[in-house]
Amino acid sequence: MRKKVFVAVAFLVAVPVVLGAIDSCATDTDGNELESREISEYQGEDLSSVNDFRENSINGPQYIDEEDYQLEITGLVDNPRAYTYDEVIGDYQSYKKVVTLNCVEGWDVTILWEGPLVRDLLAEAGPLASANTIIFHAYDGYTTSFPIDYIMDNDIIMAYKMNDITLPPERGFPFQLVAESKWGYKWIKWITEIELSDDESYEGYWESRGYSDSGNLDASFFD
Amino acid sequence: MTDRVTGAVLVQKIIRWLLLVAVILYVITGFGITEFRTVETLTFGLLTKNVAFRIHEVLWIPFAVLLSAHILYSLVLRLWRRYRT
Repeated sequence: MRKKVFVAVAFLVAVPVVLGAIDSCATDTDGNELESREISEYQGEDLSSVNDFRENSINGPQYIDEEDYQLEITGLVDNPRAYTYDEVIGDYQSYKKVVTLNCVEGWDVTILWEGPLVRDLLAEAGPLASANTIIFHAYDGYTTSFPIDYIMDNDIIMAYKMNDITLPPERGFPFQLVAESKWGYKWIKWITEIELSDDESYEGYWESRGYSDSGNLDASFFD
Repeated sequence: MTDRVTGAVLVQKIIRWLLLVAVILYVITGFGITEFRTVETLTFGLLTKNVAFRIHEVLWIPFAVLLSAHILYSLVLRLWRRYRT
């Protein structure tokens, strides 16, 4: 009996230790360097740190080469486009905004985001009238979608900077969507393609696994 | 009288073991949420993040009931034994 209890207690202690060790090995970043450069306050508002995020992507951090990178705008548009990293950050006006990301896991971070508006990028491609859904694709295969009105009617940023530093690879370099008023799983990182579609029933990675398609913060993230 | 004592001890044991199962499940499903890639691999895809979330969210109810039962039952049993002797 005592032996069984000992085994059970040992198991309970060992599992967190082993998983914690695996996690720290997998997600350690060069935090000291980032912390010395990022800002911690903006217009009187305290900001979280870049290192306050938990790494919970589907395939771990992605390391994208800036030289090879292209952002494609495809689907139901007049002019399908492909932009380089420099074109996206150089040819479009950038906006700054402090927005809080709320993760379904229970943690949140308040960050100063900076980047162009998604609707400005789409304007040049010319969405067709039949397009009602915008599907974002990421380098790691992750996808998520939004009604086109959400992107067009709100100032939705595609951030390349957070807290005044360039997005680190672990945080989504080159671009992360700042999907304000949505749960964190809608804040897609490592964006490579924006596809306009007429498939309103499209479900992204987590949405096809039972998460809410709208991802609205004021509702449960379960369908 | 002996039968009653044996029965009481048996109930205490059952509560204790069920509580242990609930605690282990609580810990595993918790890690199934925060460390979903590792846990999914270790459980051969059985415990996905979504499943872990759904179990973890309702598990506090049996956990609270069993923990209360574990504490109260032991207390009552101890008082009853003291009173009896």
